[in-house]
Amino acid sequence: MMSTTLRRLTATLGLLAGMAATAGAEAAPRPDGPVLAPESLRYCAVCHGVELMGNFAVDAPKLAGLPAWYVTRQLEAFRNGWRGAHADDATGMEMRPQAAVLEPDQLQAAVRYVESVPARHVPVTVSGDLKRGQAQYQACAVCHGAAAEGNAALNAPPLAGQSDWYLRRQLEHFRSGARGANPGDTQGALMRASVTTLADDQAIDDVVAYITSLQQPH
Amino acid sequence: MPQPFTRRHFLNMVGAAGGSAAVLQAAVALGLMPSGAEAHTPRAELMPLGRNGRSVVVLGAGLSGLVCAYELERAGYDVTVIEASKRIGGRNMTVRSGDLIDEMGNPQICQFDDHPNLYMNCGPARIPAHHSNVLHYCKTLNVPLEVFVNVNYHAYVQDPDAFGGRPIRMREYMADARGFMTELAAKAISQPDFDAPFSAEDMERFLAFLRAYGDLDPNLLYKGSARAGYASGGMTEPPTLKPPLDFSEILKSSFWRFRMHWGEGEDQAAPLMQAVGGNDNIVKGFVRNIRSRIVTGAPVQSITLREDGVDVVYDDRGRPRQVSADYCFNCIPKHLLHGIPNNFPVEYSTAMANVGRGKLFKIGLQMRERFWERENIYGGISWTNQDVEQIWYPSHGIHGDKGVMLGAYVFNDETNDRLARLSQAERIEVAVRAGEQIHPDYRKYVETGVTIAWHRMNYLMGCTAKWTEEARERYFKTLQDPVGRHYLIGDQVSYHPGWQEGAISSAHHALADLDQRVRAEMGHSATGAA
Repeated sequence: MMSTTLRRLTATLGLLAGMAATAGAEAAPRPDGPVLAPESLRYCAVCHGVELMGNFAVDAPKLAGLPAWYVTRQLEAFRNGWRGAHADDATGMEMRPQAAVLEPDQLQAAVRYVESVPARHVPVTVSGDLKRGQAQYQACAVCHGAAAEGNAALNAPPLAGQSDWYLRRQLEHFRSGARGANPGDTQGALMRASVTTLADDQAIDDVVAYITSLQQPH
Repeated sequence: MPQPFTRRHFLNMVGAAGGSAAVLQAAVALGLMPSGAEAHTPRAELMPLGRNGRSVVVLGAGLSGLVCAYELERAGYDVTVIEASKRIGGRNMTVRSGDLIDEMGNPQICQFDDHPNLYMNCGPARIPAHHSNVLHYCKTLNVPLEVFVNVNYHAYVQDPDAFGGRPIRMREYMADARGFMTELAAKAISQPDFDAPFSAEDMERFLAFLRAYGDLDPNLLYKGSARAGYASGGMTEPPTLKPPLDFSEILKSSFWRFRMHWGEGEDQAAPLMQAVGGNDNIVKGFVRNIRSRIVTGAPVQSITLREDGVDVVYDDRGRPRQVSADYCFNCIPKHLLHGIPNNFPVEYSTAMANVGRGKLFKIGLQMRERFWERENIYGGISWTNQDVEQIWYPSHGIHGDKGVMLGAYVFNDETNDRLARLSQAERIEVAVRAGEQIHPDYRKYVETGVTIAWHRMNYLMGCTAKWTEEARERYFKTLQDPVGRHYLIGDQVSYHPGWQEGAISSAHHALADLDQRVRAEMGHSATGAA
């Protein structure tokens, strides 16, 4: 979806903007019409965007394309306070009350809703060195797959196609302990141990830029 | 037969030639508008289009959207309003018995008694006298107003860091602060070596000014003032002045930083107004007078700009439905609009994503008795530097049985975040504890409460747009100007975010622009408006 020109423009504006992050719309309108949120789950789309494509402006990640098992587990993590309870996880704390009020059947419906929306490309906002990123990614590929397609057997979610600003923030959170430090979050603990291979912010940007470059056309 | 050349013809011609600013100047010159109105955007005089009207889709039934619908349909446009929420009004929201407060993750039903005086204005709560557009619509739509007490000298100032946390009447604090200040100033300028930048005559006047301003005695000393209220007497017994407060304690309090001068702010100065029975009566006034369709419960799914119009897809009770219109006026909060698929130019989307979303927290408490009236408090605000920042006493329903107080009104982002993370019961407890520092028996009067975290409210997720100076410089014009046939409107695109006047002015600004375009499109002569 994202043209080279748009990508270049995004990168240029990003440089000009300094602190400001630059991205076009999270998604373009689909000619075949959107998948609508079920009435009781319209809350999800308010923040995560139409068809759950994410919304950078409210720090809500793309959910489209995430597998059911991962969505279920994360909703449980929020409900149990494994996620969204750490003082440095401001956005997680925004999500937690919403996950907490879901009735069990709504939770299942939410997972089905995520599965029902098409995965589409999102705009690129993080720039990094793809070569270095590729090298960094080799360790990640063991679990998340060479194409960052994920591996359910290893509880590793797909990464390609996720909002890059979100990937960056989660890597930062794993590094700082804002995510993955809760004893209940055993998968998060594995990930927290794994991010030690990323030496600094630049390494994070590089690997995120590489992962984003693996987005498959839809 | 030639039609008579009226003042309206003339104004239309001026409008065609010079835009809305010229119309305003001409209208002022013709005596049709008070000259004081120049500080605000004039109401748009839209060219009536008759039956060959253009179509407009309005996204969002907040105040700016309603203003557009109201004005456009009167000018002959075919209007459809689409609102995501089932409630109309955006942040102009008043809650009463049984109303839903649709907070993300914390839905509440308001448990106030069902009584006309027992409501809470969750959004706009005061209307300044110079917000002439809001007042114009209140008058036109027959929305009765009453005076709103914003500053009450009998209300309290409370600060844990001063006076041992004891609440002090605002009048006492202010009278004594002025007294000490003016006494010091008078002393300083009376020194023989004081190098006055003005004549001896001016010096005399200035000393007299200081004496009057601080209520100093003939020796230019401050010995207390009746402005602080008497300690005793004053009617059938001789009055006794209160001994002045300790100036060092006055300085320790943070009240002087901005709260003491609050009532002198551009939008805070007396007198202010509120709609009788709740400020959402303004919304109801619009709804009563709008004939166009307002579709509620219909979140927008996509916005596609075309060369000759705008296509909008919305969720029509579970089915996608498309509306195509010549123009689109959009007051969806910019940060949520960013998550709706669109084909906006990158710089437009970027601007939306980079203007902050404000946070604001209010707590309303139904009190079983109007205990504050027994403390000579009728309306107004007590200030504290605890988390709740301020507590409001209702200006209406005086001497009634019960009242709804505002138990918290929080500007500070960090506090807003912290309060929003608390459970409903914890939030109310924060308010009750803070109130107890000002009114020791506060707790026993609290019957029920509602909490409004505007940055957690469904379909809003934010309060006033947060414009830094840098963001203004870089993005304001981008968002204020139309993109193709799409206009972003609302208080978010004004220099007055968080005020209804900002919302209406933004709507008028966009309407004036549309009017120019349509006039140009139609190659219309000014006389066509007759």
